[in-house]
Amino acid sequence: MQAKPTLHRLLISAVLAATATTLQAKEKFKVCADPLNPPYSTQKQDGFENKIAELFAKKLGQEIEYTWFPQRIGFIRNTLNAPVDEKAVDSKEFKCDVVMSVPADSDMALATEPYYQSTYVLLIAKGRGFDDIKEARQLADLPVERQDALKIAMFDRGPGTAWMQKFGLLDMGIPYQSMSGDEDNNIAMQLDQDLKAKKINMVIVWGPIAGYLVSQGPKNGYTMIPMQSTPGIPFEFAMAMGVRNGDKERQQTLNKLIAENKDQIRRIIESYHIPLTEIKKSAKPKDDD
Amino acid sequence: MKKPFKSWLLASSVAAILAAPAIATANSDLEKLSQNPANWSMWGGNYAGTRYSELDQITSSNVKNLQPAWSFSTGVLRGHEGGPLVVNDTLYIHTPFPNTVYAIDQKTQSIIWEYTPTQDADVTVPVMCCDTVNRGLAYGDGKIFLQQSDTVLTALDAKTGKRVWSVQNGDPKLGMTNTASPLVVKDKVLTGISGGEFGVRGFLAAYDIKTGQLAWKGYSMGPDADTLIDAKKTTTWKDGKVAPVGENSSLSTWEGDQWKIGGGTTWGWTSYDPKLNLIYYGSGNPSTWNPKQRPGDNKWSMSLWARDADTGAVKWVYQMTPHDEWDFDGINETVLVDQEVKGKMHKTIVHFDRNGFGYTLDRETGELLVAEKFDKSVNWATHVDMNTGRPQVVSKYSTEQNGEDVNTQGVCPAALGSKNQQPVSYSPQTGLFYISGNHLCMDYEPFEVSYTAGQPYVGATLSMMPAAADVITGQPDGSTNLGQFTAFDAKTGKIIWSNKEQFSVWSGSVATAGGVVFYGTLEGYLKAVDAKTGQELYKFKTPSGIIGNVNTWSYNGKQYVGVLSGIGGWAGIGIAAGLDSGEAGSNSEGLGAVGAYRSLSSFTKLGGTLTVFALPN
Repeated sequence: MQAKPTLHRLLISAVLAATATTLQAKEKFKVCADPLNPPYSTQKQDGFENKIAELFAKKLGQEIEYTWFPQRIGFIRNTLNAPVDEKAVDSKEFKCDVVMSVPADSDMALATEPYYQSTYVLLIAKGRGFDDIKEARQLADLPVERQDALKIAMFDRGPGTAWMQKFGLLDMGIPYQSMSGDEDNNIAMQLDQDLKAKKINMVIVWGPIAGYLVSQGPKNGYTMIPMQSTPGIPFEFAMAMGVRNGDKERQQTLNKLIAENKDQIRRIIESYHIPLTEIKKSAKPKDDD
Repeated sequence: MKKPFKSWLLASSVAAILAAPAIATANSDLEKLSQNPANWSMWGGNYAGTRYSELDQITSSNVKNLQPAWSFSTGVLRGHEGGPLVVNDTLYIHTPFPNTVYAIDQKTQSIIWEYTPTQDADVTVPVMCCDTVNRGLAYGDGKIFLQQSDTVLTALDAKTGKRVWSVQNGDPKLGMTNTASPLVVKDKVLTGISGGEFGVRGFLAAYDIKTGQLAWKGYSMGPDADTLIDAKKTTTWKDGKVAPVGENSSLSTWEGDQWKIGGGTTWGWTSYDPKLNLIYYGSGNPSTWNPKQRPGDNKWSMSLWARDADTGAVKWVYQMTPHDEWDFDGINETVLVDQEVKGKMHKTIVHFDRNGFGYTLDRETGELLVAEKFDKSVNWATHVDMNTGRPQVVSKYSTEQNGEDVNTQGVCPAALGSKNQQPVSYSPQTGLFYISGNHLCMDYEPFEVSYTAGQPYVGATLSMMPAAADVITGQPDGSTNLGQFTAFDAKTGKIIWSNKEQFSVWSGSVATAGGVVFYGTLEGYLKAVDAKTGQELYKFKTPSGIIGNVNTWSYNGKQYVGVLSGIGGWAGIGIAAGLDSGEAGSNSEGLGAVGAYRSLSSFTKLGGTLTVFALPN
């Protein structure tokens, strides 16, 4: 699908090499994002992905334009790869050009260099009888009567559930859907409500969500214990930005911006209480075609 | 796509003229309608789901003269599954989301009425996993029943298109959608639910056809009170005999409360035996996708069910794939025919599963009679142990035994199954079943990346490739075809003949008394083959790829064959949604289907069309 626009752009830049940057400036910074996915993105544009998108658009001198779509199965298909006019089957104009976060080794989109890496944490509500837990592993060794009171939120996908299973804690799990179909409520918001209502006491959750819970919860209300990756159960993942497969020019532009604005990106993410770990280079060989 | 689609009614003068005062309401009418081959009044042509027509005007000798008689654009892109219903003089067709229904006058081929339900695209489309398909309408009690994508089940007056009632069958906020074709049985209309990817717990529900009031609801998993299983009366096949399932047979096969998000959704087809008063269907794959995270058999996902039509009480249940590791969803249709197996006549139920095995069971008792591969390239299990009823899994192809982050290679069939939702047909003339098949294998890597809450991506990386082995012998042959059209004897479990197709056959077939079997291809051909030999007798290229079901009926003494074309669905999603960047990198979008079907875009493009065929005058 990409051959034509890329070629088109190459031709223009060859002919008008001198004005290439101005031409690029006229383009909009088109992002597809979930309208209600704190702390990543919201329609109010107060998520950390919104802030980073703003930063990049500013650096490029471009106007930012959002297409909102809930981030679930089919997100890339319905946004980055979807033509603006659905009836124009062979259209080369898409709903957006950038998705602000995809797994660094995703192949649904062309991933940039990773711009942050976080980890899963065990987040425990304080004052519910588990303040003595300093390491996740301790949960498995608790006496049965204390284990019964654990009430750990458990998702239908993800390493937290695998870890709970390894330590015989599945019976203490309160199952949650990892994707909600609700446009007025997302998983992070649901966890926030249920922690406050004491329906659950703890959750093993991806760092950004943990950061959100901390920001919404009572002051010093939660303990965050980073989970330790093992060969069977990885907890740390690097996140990148996604462009359409084949859109290598844009990938390079974003890579440059990621490298140049490393510190500022980090400051933005940290201001959302998100635990960051050092970005590991992916061991996976990159496509070189 | 931003605004909800408005419902509206075309109150044309044609409709006014045709609106007869009242039509017979007693629903025994439906059975009579289905026995008249002039009609095609339910998805399977009849309650048994045989998709066989007694019409014999089009024969194996004259089918070569077949011609398109008329066609009709649905005005909707995306995948068109299901097929036209024909009730007396009127033809009813449906579209993918936004689920427009057209009633067409056969005489003039003009629209009598059309109806588009009010559905919020922003709420519904994001929760539909695999294209926005719909598998068709049901007719009964003078009403057309439409199962909308957003789970709302709507009854429309068949004469006027006016909405009679609607009922919310599920909640899209919980990831529930629906793509199934309903079935009318006596005074009830049956429907299921989709959304296994979201952890929806599947169920079959029965609603009163007059009022839309819920009559019963039977879940696929959970306590006996939810599944409508009776520990003593409900039976299953174990230790070489039919035996009671025992108390909470579902709960005991799940760890903790995981059954609450257990999957087992019901987006396929339902059939019915009026004499036994039992309805039959299959349940889907268990949720979560990572098998390691749900220890146990995960009953009753991937199971065949027989329920009492009046109460929903489970007569028997049989699990085909305990503890799924490959996404071998069990929702494919069930066909009810009486056959002699091993010297004894049985009322049988025949089911060709995604897992590559064709099952023949006694439909009164649930006794397992035959379980054989209908595509011998299938390698994930050597055979089904007839004593335990369990497939014997080959360790090499067990995604769980190989572990997370290990790419299990060359598993056959691929996740889309040796056969998917496309219904088979059965001819009593030949005693054979005609299977529209897929012929692919896959590399399956569960949880290469496992982001959960807030970063929802499918927890398994799939990539699909041709099976490259012979359907009948299973021997590697380097073939590159992705589809097969196979004739199978369900009495013995033998493959009789099989035709290669370049792409998956994602279209339901129809067998006729004229000795001809019709099916469609992904490139868009309507094909007719000889029921006995499989010899290709006719083909015609329709405007788009066919994933719909071919149906046949007659009007004014003339036999017609009709099919919806309109590429999409799982196999065609690369085209339907423009996923294919032409680079290897996009292989795993569409749950792995994009890479394998890359070249399909050279053959066909989007667009919904009904094409109706007949012999020349």
